[in-house]
Amino acid sequence: MVLHLGPIIFGFIIGFILGTRLNTNSENAVKLTIASFIAIFIVVLIMAWQIGPYPYYYDLPVATGFVSSAIGLIIGKVIFGK
Amino acid sequence: MSPILKIFALPVSLIIICLGVLTILGGHITPGGGFQGGAMVAAGVILCVVVYGVKDSPIKFSHGFISAIESIGALGYVLLGLAGLFFSGFFLYNLGADFYNILPQTIINIFHYSDPTNAGIIPYLNIFVGLKVFVGLSAVVIAFSEFKK
Repeated sequence: MVLHLGPIIFGFIIGFILGTRLNTNSENAVKLTIASFIAIFIVVLIMAWQIGPYPYYYDLPVATGFVSSAIGLIIGKVIFGK
Repeated sequence: MSPILKIFALPVSLIIICLGVLTILGGHITPGGGFQGGAMVAAGVILCVVVYGVKDSPIKFSHGFISAIESIGALGYVLLGLAGLFFSGFFLYNLGADFYNILPQTIINIFHYSDPTNAGIIPYLNIFVGLKVFVGLSAVVIAFSEFKK
């Protein structure tokens, strides 16, 4: 099995860029805790499983770009977000 | 906006953003691409701006961030075109695929996108267009939302 690194790397980078802009500590906005992000990530994994190996990549049974962008979002939020 | 919308909007917008990124990354072999995926990412940002307002939006784009990402998108596209002109004599020549067999293998390996399709630089162009479109469309909505009567 050969892992296709293109969608994994660039999905992570775009997700990371957007994650740095996430701010969940605003007074009027919703406050997302760590448990909320874990729940969102589980939903993302289920969705990636249902999407399947999009687009025509058969290295893993999930949409790797989708999962890596979600991971990038969360890591970007943890490192640079507020 | 109602509390139900406020609880619902942010997780949904994060998932919409991930779907937009997936559309950008699959643009070279499936329907979609940089513009469509970038519009989906912007839709996630716009959903937050509409529900929470510009000041309290959990996804905030500053002026510096918007101008930086716009510049990266435009410059990246032009630089890929100029790289094609420099190495092959054709503007935007697909350096990663090299259909005319005029390039050394080293250049092809540098610009080759790592997936089973022989797409070359097309995914990179999609990514740069996607970056430019998502900040561009978001900037339009953020600017309109900040207008006061």
